[in-house]
Amino acid sequence: MLDLLQVVSDGLLFGATYALIGIGFTLVFGVMHKLNLSYAAASLGGAYCGLLVLKVAAGAPAGLVFLGALVAGGVIGWLVYLTCFHFIPLSNPLATLMSTVGMLLLIDEIIVHVTAGMPQNYPAMFEDVMLHVGGFTLRGDLLLVFLLSVLCMAGLLALLYRTKLGLATRAVSQQAVAAQLCGIRVARVNALTFIVTGLLGGVAGAMIGAAVGALSPLLSAPLTVKGLIVTVIGGLGSIPGAIIAGLLVGGFENVFQLYRGVTERDFYVMLLLFAFLIFRPGGLFAPKTGRD
Amino acid sequence: MKRIAIALAVSLAVSGAALAQEKTIKIAGFGAKTGAVRSFGVNSEAALLAAADVINKQGGVRLADGSKAKIAVEFYDDRCTAEEGISIIRRIAGTEAIVAVGPTCSNVAEPLFGILQKKVDDKSDSGLQMPIFTDVAVKGGLAKISEWSFRNVPSEWTMYSSLFYWLKTRNPGAQTVYGGVEEDFAHSRASWYAVMKDRAEANGYKVLGNSKWLLNDSNFATQVREMKNANADIVAIAAHPFTTCGVLKEMQRQGVKPKVLIGLTSSSSMETLQGCAKQAEGIIIPTSFAPVTKEGKFAAETTAKFKGAADLHSMAAWENMFILKDVIESEKVSGNKDQLQADRRKIRDGLAKLKETKGLLGITKRTEDREADKPYLFVQATKGEWKVLHDPL
Repeated sequence: MLDLLQVVSDGLLFGATYALIGIGFTLVFGVMHKLNLSYAAASLGGAYCGLLVLKVAAGAPAGLVFLGALVAGGVIGWLVYLTCFHFIPLSNPLATLMSTVGMLLLIDEIIVHVTAGMPQNYPAMFEDVMLHVGGFTLRGDLLLVFLLSVLCMAGLLALLYRTKLGLATRAVSQQAVAAQLCGIRVARVNALTFIVTGLLGGVAGAMIGAAVGALSPLLSAPLTVKGLIVTVIGGLGSIPGAIIAGLLVGGFENVFQLYRGVTERDFYVMLLLFAFLIFRPGGLFAPKTGRD
Repeated sequence: MKRIAIALAVSLAVSGAALAQEKTIKIAGFGAKTGAVRSFGVNSEAALLAAADVINKQGGVRLADGSKAKIAVEFYDDRCTAEEGISIIRRIAGTEAIVAVGPTCSNVAEPLFGILQKKVDDKSDSGLQMPIFTDVAVKGGLAKISEWSFRNVPSEWTMYSSLFYWLKTRNPGAQTVYGGVEEDFAHSRASWYAVMKDRAEANGYKVLGNSKWLLNDSNFATQVREMKNANADIVAIAAHPFTTCGVLKEMQRQGVKPKVLIGLTSSSSMETLQGCAKQAEGIIIPTSFAPVTKEGKFAAETTAKFKGAADLHSMAAWENMFILKDVIESEKVSGNKDQLQADRRKIRDGLAKLKETKGLLGITKRTEDREADKPYLFVQATKGEWKVLHDPL
């Protein structure tokens, strides 16, 4: 029993990294009703850029690397918006889907070419901190990721519900044409949404690098898949949903692995996704639909 | 008039010589240059180019008619996927390349060797008749698939057998082994189940079990907990650098400190040290290359000029180029376009005849099933570098 609880708690904590990626997917979908499939790769791109801090100042603290990743994530987010959305007809849903797939592959290949595919050591905060509670152990660095996810959620909710930008964002997400008629610059709101999700992505990528201990191009495909699963299970467009779904997917993944082995683990995670698509297609926290 | 005639004769002789100099022997290289294993392809290409450059600077390779030809290398990216690898070898067969060196990945080599003619001169078999001389793909026993396939990769079976034997004499107190395996990667699986596990048991160790993970995994908490519960004296990790690093970092977090840590042959590269030098400290890996000889140092330095790193895989590509030079000369390859298929056959037959070849660590014995029995060393990660721990030969 203790094993099961430990496995669940490990999974829940690691699920915080999925939650961070899921939030980015869901935020873009919530505002633009589009999927940005390059999000996980862009987040990793931001994290890789954060490592440049160590090139400039060897031995710099992990916090500075994370800050570099945050800034780079924002810039990459804006570039993704420009290349994959701004000049592409939004009325065609497949166009942006394909442009973001292309961007995913492009970012992946850039990373591969710059690093020759070699794993890059990534700094972590509280890496050596292990909290022992009874027979349990909890990783300090994953607790930090978990706290950051919650903080990101709180920050994003505050941004959406307490600021003019949030009001504009919600207006665009509900009725873009009406928002435009009210004087809101839709393209600017969309660009800012990508910058905000990019900033978040930079943090997410850095946290994933810190949690894994290394970055590799191998991470982008599984993170993209996990991010999408989390977004669907949490409810497309729901930020709290993404966090809860991220933790759930992380927890279930570990339980499936414990009982069915690593080779069957992803099979059951996919079954979980199908179960949601069939029985609760709106996800755990389907947001109320806006007027059309 | 006489002067003009002499000048004409001289210029004709010079241009004739120049034409002879321009003759080239094409050797194709192929491997992964995209994706997470890009460094393997990059390093192999650099080693092939570097070796060809050395040969060309020494005058090139002697052909059947006594003339000298330069070696030209063209390298193709197979992306470490079987379908791309097969497509590329068909493309190479359509060029003037007389032999192909590659591939990087065992999951490419296995199906690719399958499309070659199984037995030479079997008229009922329409398989491709193209000699392939593998430098990297290391999964055991693949060359026997076709008589056109040859490999210059180390025998993991021999190396790990020797390693466990040596460990037994060095650490008589260590009795138990626990494995970690990248379950979805052909080479890693074969290395654990058919080599490490088997060789550990053959040397009197008790194998307590193994943990499994996938190539793309990033969370190893459960697997390392299983490892911790097993509390084995020796932990053997059959995985590539990225997940090896992930597991080593998780072992550090959970305080798993076996008496001896063993890694996969392919992880004795800079990738592991780049990803987790601190956590990899002390890991022991058998390898078929370390720059310990004069030739090895020269090969490493020359390859570095072509922006490649020297490791057991890229240095096999270097060795392949010199072996091929010898075969081209001994088999009297013509280098004529209209003799292309005959030249390919000569290369195949020449490689098949070899009983031993010169390697960077010493003499490599060739086996009946077209594999190599290469000299090897045990290296250990020490302060961010691979240091030679023991030379069993």
